[in-house]
Amino acid sequence: MPPIIDLQEIYKIYPNGVMANKGVNFSVDPCEIHALVGENGAGKSTLMKIIYGMEQPTEGKVIIEGVEREFQSSRDAIDAGIGMVHQNFMLVPSFSVAENVVLGQEPTQRGLLNKQQAIEDTIKISEQYGLRVNPEAIVDSINVGMRQRVEILKALYRGANILILDEPTAVLTPQETQELFIAIRKLVDQGKTVVFITHKLREVKEVSDRVTVMRKGEVIGTVPTSEATRESLARMMVGREVLMSFEKPKSKRGKKVMEVQNLSYVDDTGVQVLDNVSFNIFSGEILGIAGVEGNGQTELVEVLTGLRSATSGNALVNGKPVLNKTPREVRMARVSHIPEDRLTNGLALDASINENLIVDRYFRPPYKNGLLIDYKKVSELGKKSIKEYGILTPDGELPVSSLSGGNMQKVIVAREFTSDPELLIAAQPTRGIDVGATEFVREQLVRQRTDGTAVLLVSADLGEVMSLSDRIIAIYEGEITGVFPDAASVTEEELGLYMLGIKRQAKEEMEELL
Amino acid sequence: MIRKLYMKPFVRELLRILLAVTISLVLGFIITLLVSEDPFGAYQAFLTGPLTRINRTGEWIKEAITLTLLGLSVALVFKAQLFSLGAEGQMLLGALVSGTIALFVPLPAILRIPLALVAAMLVGFLFGALPGYLKAHLNANEIVSTLMLNAIALRLYDYFLIFHIKPDGAGYNASDFFPKEGILPTFIPNVPFLADAYELFSRRANVTIMLYIAIAVVVLVWYLMFRTPFGYELRMLGANIKFARYGGIDTKKTVILSFAISGLVAGLAGAHLGMGIHEKLIANITIGIAFEGIVVALLARNNPVAVPFAALAYGYLRAGADVMERSSDVSREMVLVIQAIIILLVTAERVLPIVQQRVSASRRKKQNNNEVPSIEEGGQNAV
Repeated sequence: MPPIIDLQEIYKIYPNGVMANKGVNFSVDPCEIHALVGENGAGKSTLMKIIYGMEQPTEGKVIIEGVEREFQSSRDAIDAGIGMVHQNFMLVPSFSVAENVVLGQEPTQRGLLNKQQAIEDTIKISEQYGLRVNPEAIVDSINVGMRQRVEILKALYRGANILILDEPTAVLTPQETQELFIAIRKLVDQGKTVVFITHKLREVKEVSDRVTVMRKGEVIGTVPTSEATRESLARMMVGREVLMSFEKPKSKRGKKVMEVQNLSYVDDTGVQVLDNVSFNIFSGEILGIAGVEGNGQTELVEVLTGLRSATSGNALVNGKPVLNKTPREVRMARVSHIPEDRLTNGLALDASINENLIVDRYFRPPYKNGLLIDYKKVSELGKKSIKEYGILTPDGELPVSSLSGGNMQKVIVAREFTSDPELLIAAQPTRGIDVGATEFVREQLVRQRTDGTAVLLVSADLGEVMSLSDRIIAIYEGEITGVFPDAASVTEEELGLYMLGIKRQAKEEMEELL
Repeated sequence: MIRKLYMKPFVRELLRILLAVTISLVLGFIITLLVSEDPFGAYQAFLTGPLTRINRTGEWIKEAITLTLLGLSVALVFKAQLFSLGAEGQMLLGALVSGTIALFVPLPAILRIPLALVAAMLVGFLFGALPGYLKAHLNANEIVSTLMLNAIALRLYDYFLIFHIKPDGAGYNASDFFPKEGILPTFIPNVPFLADAYELFSRRANVTIMLYIAIAVVVLVWYLMFRTPFGYELRMLGANIKFARYGGIDTKKTVILSFAISGLVAGLAGAHLGMGIHEKLIANITIGIAFEGIVVALLARNNPVAVPFAALAYGYLRAGADVMERSSDVSREMVLVIQAIIILLVTAERVLPIVQQRVSASRRKKQNNNEVPSIEEGGQNAV
């Protein structure tokens, strides 16, 4: 059978001179689930954008179902039967599910939208492919899993034969992920073809038929999934052996470092985002927060680090109040913070690596000498950090934007770890970074904890929370629904039930363990 | 080897500017060809005018001093990724306050001049802090607030000039000439062995000690921006305000201070207008120059050290345009068009990248036609 997607010798050079694809050959057979994996900046997204018409290749051929195509825009790609579900959903939040599904090709009656028809159409394809949705619900009010199904239905409604899913599981709970995989299978059984991009090798093994690995803009190889192991894929991605799991030394729990009491936060729109949250963190332990994204974790971290004001409650670090203080004051209480979104909060991309390393210390000795900043000291710090944290760059004077995602994260980690913190708040510390850098960051987190730092870990990657944490708190809609004093003894499924608010521990039961 | 040199940012920047200037001068000449009877003569007046007579050269230098200060003022705000149109108001108040002191405070020059300059800077600082405060604490759009404050400053200036400073019975809105104690001295000291030069400059083109002050301000602003904690805060604010806040920088204080210091430098530029150029206070003293700091800062890419060069270059264009207008049949409007083209091209960020992309794309094609395997992998220098 001829391949349904056939890319031949694709080159893509961006105007800034970056070569994202170097002679890529990539083919997908009809009715298969094809996983595309690779580190950040390996060129996966660029390749998918080329298939979807969002980018034009500098050179090379795009052959879809045997016909050579030159897509000028994604409109052309949609007409050719290609659909793409982006990482960030592109839905109209104030519209209903059905309205979103038919958007762009609405069934009309005398020039007006035929709502009834739209709902029926939505129900029809939803049943045909086993993608459960409530067609009349407003998108704003539905959860992430259903939004994703709406996105997929939208593509199918437009007649997509080939579906490209960009990191579809990044925002899902384990249960939702399983549902998605079942749905994908069903799609393929009915003659669709699915390409999905992911970082998670476990999922590759679980759902795909074949897998293509990219590294540095090139395809390293395509193999049947049955012949690949997670280790072999990781090796192909990184180009060396990668430790897939590690033994962490036993936790030596010390004194209480942070105490959070009845913390509540109500946002501008009046939504109770955090509801009476209380917990403690001790030195020498990693406290993991497990929750589906959007259940208050982001706000919790921002409130604790001074970036947001709490509505009520209290938080102490070593007995000193840190709630509703400025970020500087919180940092001076020896709290470090790896922010969730490194590009918006954690780094100034156009500033140099060195300058990014001193934002928490430029105003005090030894970095400030008299009236001036001692740039000799700064560059010493830069050299040391680059060496110790393995930041891949020729020079600390280069802008951070010249680094890859993983190395950017290393800059943040270097800064936050070298400030000698007593409490380290790490939000999504390995999100979107490649296998090698992830391994490094995790090792560093555990080392900090073993050296006696108290660590609060917030991560959407449940596997990460489970493997790194000593103790786990499950959070659902801003409330703590469960606490697990021994992270090693809880299963993913069990935790998932608490993360979805299906199970809850009694308040009295938790009090002891928080 | 050439490729390596080309990778250096400084070399690329220089190339970019050269390319832009060349293209725009050619375009300018084509326009001159279309509108002038004597295009070569007119264009020559434009290109060499400011150097043909000592007084023209002097005017050019004096204007470049004002432009330098204004460019620094704007660069300070731009560097923080903020925008200010407030130089006009700050200059007016700086000129007003320094002019009043120059006219009426009975002190010897050695005290009167520093006092006037410091007062101008102080009033610029305070008047500059205002939009900063409004921005930081009330989130008032700084473009609107600086423009509105300009209107207020202009009325204040006119009011004091017309009702309090203008001599009784004068037929136009201007003060008396400043007394000698209130005028900045010539930049060449009046000592015997420099007597000839002193004579020449003080009579023909009175470039003042503001030349040295401006150079000192350039150095100070550079230090402030790149060596002090405040400069770091300012630059981080500009690079990413969320990062600055996350890292613990007091972003509100930084916004206010950057506007205030910008105002301080503009206030000094205002003092130069009165005490260095006009030697009296006149109505509309800032007209035609108040917003030119923006162009200078753009040309200099907000780099304080590049500002004086940008100011000299831009001042040269302005002076050349004046000469061309006066000594040829090309109208001022056409001259402005040529000027605008030059600025447009020099400030366009992507002039070079576009050329570069074309070149590399065509080279790729060539390679493939010759069936040479990709040498990009680790071999970029091989071309």
